[in-house]
Amino acid sequence: MSASEVYARWRHRLIPDHILGEILSKTWIDNAIPFAFLIIAIAFFAFINPHFFLLSGLGDMARELGEIIFVTLGMVIVMLAGGIDLSVGSTFALSNFITLALFNWQGWPIGLAVLCALLAGAAVGLLNGILVGYLRLRAFLTTLVTLIIIRAIDDTLVIQYSTKVVVPITQSKVWDFISDGDIYGIPIPFIVAIVIAAVGHVLLTRLRPGWHILAVGGSRRSAHNAGIPVRRTVAMTYVMSGILAAAGGVFYASRLGTAGGDTGVGLEVTALTAAVLGGNSLGGGRGSVVKALLGALTVTIINNGLISLGLKSGAGSLALGVVLLIAVAIDVRWLKNRHKVLSKVYVSPAYFKLPPCPSITEGSGSSYALNDKLHDVELIGLGEIDAAEDPILDINDDLFFGSRKGDIIRYFGPDHKRWEVYVHVGGMPLGMAFDRDGNLLCCVAGMGLYKVVKDTRKIVKLTDETNRTWLSIVDDSRMRLPDDLDIAPDGRIFFSEATIRFDSYEWMVDGLEARGNGRIICYDPRDKSTKTVLPKIKFPNGICVAHDGKSIFYASTWGCTIERFWLEGQKKGTTETIIADLPGYPDNINRSSDGNYWVALVGLRTPAFDLALRKPGFRRRMVQRVAQDEWLFPQMNAGTVIKFTESGQVIDCLWDKRGVNHPMLTSCNEHKGYLYLGGIVNNRVGKYKVPGADPNFTNQGSYWGAKP
Amino acid sequence: MSLKKYVLAGATALAMVGVAITAAHADHFDDGQWGMTAKALKGKTVAYVPISMGFDLAQGWAAAMQKSADKWGYKLVINDPNWSASAGVQAIGQLLAQKPDVLVIQPFDPQSYAKLIKKALDQGTKVVQINMESVTHGDAYVGSDWYDVAATEMDLMEKACGKAAGKNGKIALIPGIPTNPGQMVGTQAINDKLKQYPDLQVVATQAAEYDPTKAHDVALTILKQHPDLCGIPGTWDGQDVGTAAAIKEAGLLGKVYLVTSGGGRQAAACDYIANGSYSAYVSYDGKGQGRDLVGSVVSLLQDSEKAGSHPVGVYSSLKIITKETMSTGSCWTIEDIKANGA
Repeated sequence: MSASEVYARWRHRLIPDHILGEILSKTWIDNAIPFAFLIIAIAFFAFINPHFFLLSGLGDMARELGEIIFVTLGMVIVMLAGGIDLSVGSTFALSNFITLALFNWQGWPIGLAVLCALLAGAAVGLLNGILVGYLRLRAFLTTLVTLIIIRAIDDTLVIQYSTKVVVPITQSKVWDFISDGDIYGIPIPFIVAIVIAAVGHVLLTRLRPGWHILAVGGSRRSAHNAGIPVRRTVAMTYVMSGILAAAGGVFYASRLGTAGGDTGVGLEVTALTAAVLGGNSLGGGRGSVVKALLGALTVTIINNGLISLGLKSGAGSLALGVVLLIAVAIDVRWLKNRHKVLSKVYVSPAYFKLPPCPSITEGSGSSYALNDKLHDVELIGLGEIDAAEDPILDINDDLFFGSRKGDIIRYFGPDHKRWEVYVHVGGMPLGMAFDRDGNLLCCVAGMGLYKVVKDTRKIVKLTDETNRTWLSIVDDSRMRLPDDLDIAPDGRIFFSEATIRFDSYEWMVDGLEARGNGRIICYDPRDKSTKTVLPKIKFPNGICVAHDGKSIFYASTWGCTIERFWLEGQKKGTTETIIADLPGYPDNINRSSDGNYWVALVGLRTPAFDLALRKPGFRRRMVQRVAQDEWLFPQMNAGTVIKFTESGQVIDCLWDKRGVNHPMLTSCNEHKGYLYLGGIVNNRVGKYKVPGADPNFTNQGSYWGAKP
Repeated sequence: MSLKKYVLAGATALAMVGVAITAAHADHFDDGQWGMTAKALKGKTVAYVPISMGFDLAQGWAAAMQKSADKWGYKLVINDPNWSASAGVQAIGQLLAQKPDVLVIQPFDPQSYAKLIKKALDQGTKVVQINMESVTHGDAYVGSDWYDVAATEMDLMEKACGKAAGKNGKIALIPGIPTNPGQMVGTQAINDKLKQYPDLQVVATQAAEYDPTKAHDVALTILKQHPDLCGIPGTWDGQDVGTAAAIKEAGLLGKVYLVTSGGGRQAAACDYIANGSYSAYVSYDGKGQGRDLVGSVVSLLQDSEKAGSHPVGVYSSLKIITKETMSTGSCWTIEDIKANGA
C-alpha cells in the first residue's frame, strides 16, 4: 500500500466529511447565518465597548427592542405572503400620535386610546391590503405612497397639536407600568412582544391562516389552484402588519411620551433590514417568527452599538445600509446556491479497499465461472412488468412482486398469465415475505415496513421509525430506504435499511461513498418496538433467516460480502463474514430447497471502480466537477445468481451469457422446483427450472411448515 | 537578562513615569485652589448627547469641552443620536450604564428625556441641559433665553416693518419643530409681541422643521402669494439658509427683511450678513455658550452636592449682528474654539 493510500485511508477514517453535507441539508441551517450575524454583532460591540452590555443598558435596549420586534413581525408576515410593507414607519408614528392625543390631551381611558391607535393601524393596513391584495397594485409602490400619505397626515397633526399632546392631563397606573415597569428586570414592551411573537409562531406554523400565508408567498398560482383565497390572505397580512406597527407605536408613546416629526422615520428600513438579516426571504414563502426575532435583535444591537461608538452623524445610517445590502446579497446568493453547494458537498466518498476479485472466466475452474444456464428461462409478464422486485409466491402459487409505481402486483398461478394490482401501497415496495399467517410483509422505500393482511388486503403500517442515534446529524429515526426483510421463528422481523443518507432513487450514489451508511433494524411485533440492531453497514441489502432459525444472513452490497449475524447460541450477537470476496454486488438472499441459500448479484465488480474505491479524492473531484450522468458508478449491467452453503462455499452459479433475459438481477426465489428471478429495472420475471430441486419446496413450508 | 531583571526594569520604568507625572504636577504653580481643581477633575467622565453632531453649535460646544478635558484630564464621551429622539434615549441609556459624572444633553422636546434625567440624578450623575430644556430640571441649564431671542427678533421686525418705518407690517412665520423647547417658548414670545405691536400682521404660518429645503419651499410659496411681504422673523440659521435662498430666488433680496437667530458662527452668520442674505442676526453666541458650558461642567465636577439639589440657569447674552454693527469679533469659528478653547 502506497504512502498516499495510507494517508487517504486514515484521513477518511478520521475526518467525518459527510457531516458538512448533512448539516447543510438541515432546515435549521437557514437560521445559522442570521445567528452567526447576531453572534458577530454581539462580539464586535462587546469588544469595542465593554460597557455596551451592562445590565442597565440592556434593559433600555430591550424596551426599544420590543417596538422593533412588533414592526419586524408585521413586515415578516407581509413578506411571507410575498409582499412588502413600507408604510410601517408612518403607521408607527400615527399610532404614537393617536395614543398620546387621546390619552394625554383628551384624557380618554388608556385602554380605549390604545384600542383606537391599533384600529388606526388596522385601517392603514386595510387600505394597503385592498390596494395590494384586491386591486393587485404593486406592493412596493403602493406602500411607499401610503408611507408618504400617512407621514404627511402625521406631520400635519404634529405641527398643529404636538405641543398639546405631549403634556399629560391624566395619570394611569397601567400606563405608568407599561412605560416604566418591568418583571424581574425585563421591560413590559419586550415581554408583550415575545408573547405576541409566540402567538405569531403558532399562527404561522400550526394554524390554517398561517399556512395560507406561507402557501401564497411560496407560489401564488399554486395557492390559488389549491383553493386558497389569495387576495384575502394577502390583504390580511397588511392588516396584521398595520396592527403590529401600531402596537410598536403605542409602546414608543409609552417610552418617550412625545410626538415629533422624527417618530418612526426610517423604521421601514430598520424593519426590512431586520427581516432580511434574520433570513426571511424577500421573495416570500420562506421565513419564520424566530428569524424575525433574530433579525430584530441583531439590528437593535447594531443600531445601539453604532450610537455607542459615537460615530459622526449619518455614519450610523450608512453602516445599517451596508448591513442591509450584505444581508440581501447573502439572502439572494444563499437561496440561489444552497442546493448547488449541497449537491457538491453532500456526496462524501470514503476510503475502501476490496479484496482481490475472483475470476469469472469460463473454464477457469472458479466457482463463479461463466455459463449460460439462464439462456432458456421461461418469461412471465414480459413487457407488462415494470421493475419486478423480489418476486415471491404464496401457497397457491400466485406470484407477487413490487413495482416502482407503488403497487404490489399479483400474477395468478399456476400459469402466471393473468394479473392484477394486488394493493397500492405507495412508495416503492421492495423486499417481501409471508408471515406465519400468510400476511404479506413488505419493505417500502421512502415509507417503512408494511403488512398487507391476507384476505382483506388491508394495509397496515408496522413501523416507520426506529431509535435515533446519538449525535447523528441526519435524523436517522425516520426510515429512508428499507430494503429487504425476513422473519425469525419467534416472529421478530429483521429488515435492512440500505442507507440513511440517500433516497431510493439515488441509491447508486451511495455506492460512490463506500461508507457504512446502512443498518439492520429489528421490529418486534410482540411489543411493537423497533430497534437498530446493526448500524454502519455498507448498503445492507438481502436478508435471510438461516434454515435452523438461529442466525440471519445479510448481504452488504458495496462491501461485496455475505455476513452472518447470530440470533442464538454461543455466538449470539456477533457477526461473521461468510463470503468476503464476491465478484459482484450481492442483493436479495433466499433459501434454497437443498438447505443452502440463493443470492442475486446485481452487478459485477470492475477493476476501474475497485481502484476508484481506494481513491476517495478522485471520487470527490468527480462528483464536484463532472455531470452526474458521466460519473463512474458501480457496474450494474450484468449480474448473476449464486448458491452458497451455510459455511460460505459457493456451489452453483447461474449466468445469462447473452445478457438479454436478466442483465441485472436483484432477487431470486425458489418455489416448487423453480427459481423465480426479478430485477429492479427488469420488465419480466424469469422462471428457471432448478435441476434436482425439491418440487414441493415452498418458502412458507420452509419457514412455517405450511402445506399447500 | 533574567526574569527578575525584567521585572525590576519594568518596575523602575513605571516608577519613573510616576515620578514624571507627579513632577509635571509638582512643576505647576499651585496656590492651593489649582491643585484642588486638578485633583477634582482628573479621571472624571463627562457624557455628551446633543441633538446631532452634524451642526455648528453642537460641534462648537464639543470642541470647547474637549479643550478643557484635555487640559484637566477628564474624559469626554460623545454619542450622536443624529436627529432621532428615540436614538437619543438609547444613547443616554447606554451612557448612564457607564455611570458618568456629568451628563450634558440637548433634549429634542420637553418629554422624551424627562425620565432619563430623573434616572441620571437618582444614580448620582449630574445633568447639564444645553440650549434646550426638558420638563425635568437637571443641575444646570446653559443656553439661550428663547423668549428673549424671539422677542428681540420681533422688536427688529417692528423697527423694519412697523408703521413707524412706513411699511405695511406684513410678516410670515416659518417655525421649526413645534415641540422643540426653544420653539415652544419662542412662539409664546411672538404672540406676546404681536399683541404689543398691533401694526404687525401675520399673513402666513407654516413650519419647516429646521429643514432648510422645507424652509426654502415654504418661503418661496409664501413670497408668491404675498409679493408685498415686508419681513420674516426667522427661526434658526440652519433652517433660514433656505428662507434666504428663496428670497434671493424670488428677486426680493433687500426688499424682504429677514431676521434670523443662531449661534453666530462666521460662515453661518457674519458671512450671510455680509452678502445681504440676512438683514439682521440675533446671535446667542455659541462660543460664549461653550465657555458657559465648560464653566458649569467644571464646577459640577468639583461640587460634592447631591445631583439635582440646586438647579441653576446660565442664560446666554444676545448679540444683534447687522451690516452696521458687524466687526471681526462678532462671529466665531470651530477651528478657533478647537485651537484656543471657548
